[in-house]
Amino acid sequence: MREPRGAPEAARTWQFPPPWVLLVAIVLIICAEVGGASMVRFKVELARWARNTMLARPAVHGLVGVRDVDEQILDEALVKFDAGLRLFHLHAEGMGLVIIVTTTVAATLAAPGPARGVLVALLTVGGAGYPLGYLLWSGLIPVVGLERGKAIAEWLAWIPFGGTTILALWWLVIIVARRLGR
Amino acid sequence: MAVVLIALGETGGAVMSQLRPAIERYATARIDVNRAAHGLAGSPEYDDAIRARATYAAEAGLSFFHTHAEGVGLILFFTSTVVASVVPGRRRRGLLYLLLAVGSLFPLGYLVYGIAVLEAGRDTGIDLAERWILSPLGSLVLAGLIGLGVELAGAVRRVRRPSAS
Repeated sequence: MREPRGAPEAARTWQFPPPWVLLVAIVLIICAEVGGASMVRFKVELARWARNTMLARPAVHGLVGVRDVDEQILDEALVKFDAGLRLFHLHAEGMGLVIIVTTTVAATLAAPGPARGVLVALLTVGGAGYPLGYLLWSGLIPVVGLERGKAIAEWLAWIPFGGTTILALWWLVIIVARRLGR
Repeated sequence: MAVVLIALGETGGAVMSQLRPAIERYATARIDVNRAAHGLAGSPEYDDAIRARATYAAEAGLSFFHTHAEGVGLILFFTSTVVASVVPGRRRRGLLYLLLAVGSLFPLGYLVYGIAVLEAGRDTGIDLAERWILSPLGSLVLAGLIGLGVELAGAVRRVRRPSAS
């Protein structure tokens, strides 16, 4: 990042966000990598666990004891279970990078003070919490069913953490726009 | 611009997830309004299959917008930082910033893709978005990245030259 000649050195280089933010982002990326690898390595075991858990809760999944009907329900739930893990893998990698980039921008361009700390915290907590919702959803599907699992993940993770991230990002956009306007 | 793209990508993902039924209703309504473009024939089974394909394509456009906006936002941030750090000369930097920044509007092409599919028919809409937005803007990003690659190769040569001599 270059600023006009004569600008102080600190204004011409990106400033690091606090170390805890980088730690959260890196742990999130590691979790995503491990999640992706585990999905491949333990594919059969995971599918077996999900299937057995669903078979142990026929009422939750609407299983009726007719093989043709039940297999279709189980297949659909297993596809969603797998999709949840896959989406966790993708979002955790992406959000890890988004946390690093957006908090770096905030650390550099937002005015020093409590507001900057709040913004960095919102970007970090929102960005790290959101992908965990997919993991939660995936884990809940065999236990409480597709729709209930989705509703729980939505209210516990996607809406609060996703909403936090979106608000913080638009706040950051306003800060950057104001900075450009100066 | 990178931050705006990421913010748009995040917001697009949330909208897509929370308003899915409304988006599906809107898509179906637009397909019915543009029945000639979609080739609806009045046969319920045939028309439903066409509606499903077009709605799927429109939703795919939104989904691609979400993923590409986030990804391209990150790419723009990192590549423009490398340009600022490595490329000598104001004009050369300016050209690369321009190519990368304008090209990074590329994900907006997927929004056009989603709308064009509904308004102009599936194949025509996809062709329109690809030909007029996705390909040109994507090419600008590629040109910017190739330019940056050339500049980086030059920087590597400059670093090596003193030690070689």
